[in-house]
Amino acid sequence: MRGRFSFSITMPAIALVVGAASAVFITGLSAQAPALKTSLTTSWGEPDLQGIWTDESDTPLQRSPKFANQETFTDAQRAELDRERSALMRRDKRVERGTELDVAGAYNAVFTSQKRTGARTSLIIDPPNGRVPPMTPEAQKLAAADRDYRLALLQSTDTCKNKSVACAGGKYDSTPSPRRSEPPPRYNTVRINRHDGPEDGALPDRCLTLGLPEFGAATGSFRRIVQTPGGIAIFYDVGQGQGWQRNIIMDGRPHLPASVRQWYGDSRGRWEGDTLVIDVTNFSPKTDYQGARENLHLVERWRRTGPDSLEYTVTIEDPTVWTRPWTAKQDFTRQSDQDNRLYNEPRCIEGNYGHPGLLRGARMEELAFAEGRGPHPATKDNATDFVGVEDDPLQ
Amino acid sequence: MRDRFAISMLTVAIAAASVGAVISASITHTSGQAPITRPATVGGKPNFTGIWQANNEANWDLQAHAARPAAVTQEGAYPYEYARVPAAPVLALGAAGAVPGSLGVVQGDGEIPYKPEALAKKKENADHWIDRDPELKCYLPGIPRAMYMPHPFQITQSTNKIHFAYSFSNSARTIHMDKVEGPPDDTWMGHSVGRWEGDMLVVDVTHFNDRAWFDRAGNHHSDALKLVERFTLKSPDVIWYDVTIEDPNVFTRPWRIAMPLYRRAEPNMQLLEFRCNEFAEEFMYGHLRKQPLVKRWEGETMTIDVTRKIPPGDAFYQWYSR
Repeated sequence: MRGRFSFSITMPAIALVVGAASAVFITGLSAQAPALKTSLTTSWGEPDLQGIWTDESDTPLQRSPKFANQETFTDAQRAELDRERSALMRRDKRVERGTELDVAGAYNAVFTSQKRTGARTSLIIDPPNGRVPPMTPEAQKLAAADRDYRLALLQSTDTCKNKSVACAGGKYDSTPSPRRSEPPPRYNTVRINRHDGPEDGALPDRCLTLGLPEFGAATGSFRRIVQTPGGIAIFYDVGQGQGWQRNIIMDGRPHLPASVRQWYGDSRGRWEGDTLVIDVTNFSPKTDYQGARENLHLVERWRRTGPDSLEYTVTIEDPTVWTRPWTAKQDFTRQSDQDNRLYNEPRCIEGNYGHPGLLRGARMEELAFAEGRGPHPATKDNATDFVGVEDDPLQ
Repeated sequence: MRDRFAISMLTVAIAAASVGAVISASITHTSGQAPITRPATVGGKPNFTGIWQANNEANWDLQAHAARPAAVTQEGAYPYEYARVPAAPVLALGAAGAVPGSLGVVQGDGEIPYKPEALAKKKENADHWIDRDPELKCYLPGIPRAMYMPHPFQITQSTNKIHFAYSFSNSARTIHMDKVEGPPDDTWMGHSVGRWEGDMLVVDVTHFNDRAWFDRAGNHHSDALKLVERFTLKSPDVIWYDVTIEDPNVFTRPWRIAMPLYRRAEPNMQLLEFRCNEFAEEFMYGHLRKQPLVKRWEGETMTIDVTRKIPPGDAFYQWYSR
């Protein structure tokens, strides 16, 4: 929420990259390393993955049932999708004026720039159907408990009264749920319709944007890789002014003890031929990737495929959440240094007006209700954003 | 593990002393892949790669100071400046809350050449340390402060970039050894452009904002701050770090700080996260809770009562109270 402000500072610098800028970068590079081949290998002989990288196109994580039998789009489909998406997606589209949803949807395409539709119909390459494998019964139960709690917090709002898709699975009840005074079934990571304290905020609203695996989401992401003999640093710029880093341990030592948990896990890398393979474990129980928390295990493979291209595949495993491991692939394009000069400035927290604003707003609603000036706070929806306003035809 | 590490360190030292060329022995491991080692040089220049940390009191106060009972004190029983006692916020920490003494890191006469009005602001900052120090809010630490906070940082040295990853607040900076112009906005961490003067790494840092502090003593600067940092590898495990500080809005002349930075030589050392914005949430937003959470602490020897207040100048409070 807050991130939007720093987003407006950071993104212009990094959003305008692509063609011309890359050319400038390559020119600069060739001054140091004239032969194209040497630019793919560091001066100490390792594959050179260095630079600022991003995915320049939009590819959904999962394949839409509409494209069930195709791994790639036809050119005509891509052109049509680009046309539909640029015409529709968050272009100042309004829902009914004066409704809560209209206020919540106050961000337009300026804030959520979209990229061209990618060549593939899903990032997921395994299973072959391009879909996240089924969840285990245990994980389904946990997800259902989370959903029930979220719906209970919404049950007295117009969102449920009007049968918005955000209330799917729930029903309207004018009596506020007693669950409003219960803590969530497990550590909260998403936006819920309760703002009793800071930890009721979604992780991105708290400047604690989710970590790995990192596919870019709505606002894109950038990663700078710097290498040294026997060492690799990756700095991520994600989620509107947030950022974090990984320093890949390359000397073969074992993972951190199980008692040490981190937001971005613990990365152990090795070279397999020209591919950097990173094993990531030790995630914090406060993280959540599609239901996976402390048992998440990633195996990433990074491979330079050309002067401006880097292939990234990640196998995602958590036997407590999915019935089988699955793999996604993303293609990154090298970006201009010159046009990304605000890199490394994850200053989200310093200007986070949205998060305390949600808390303060909730206190004011409670005060107004107590003084007979306003409705019961449980009837207000301060959680639902764009849900149901527009559907991305790519998803 | 320790022995192997010692051998590899020795090797690095020998390599540095002899050819300055790359590689030799290595830390061995079982996966059968190519051995990993840290060469003495990268691209023919001294290799600063590794995890480093200052081991001094500069983050408390850049200037020479005697040890004092606490970061926040109040007048004691005797009316002397040197007889103050810990104030309530830190009293419960006892001696662990005391500030260690230091000979300071400011070079020359040890004075920071403030303009009169800037000196007054420094004193005011110090008086309001808890309310004003960006460190307590987990804001980005700025440069040079990030270099001597009590948290490790990691240097990853390549040929055209040297990346600094700081444990504190996920902060980072990339030193551009190639030409990259400054950003179109001011920043906490500055814009770092490096060059080699022989074996010395010299970094010009510009494009700062006026919000970072130098230390917990309230030393401050404006957005006109310009730094020239000099990094010299004195031995494989010690960097001599020297910074010239210039800010005509705040100081009457350039001044310098200098200190050693030490390698974190533990064989299993790695940079762990210190994602402190989570830790600072109660501090920053506790007054916005529906029910106060941190209210009172009772130990065997004392009880601490906490009353949350709306911070003066709280923009949201004012906005909602219109």
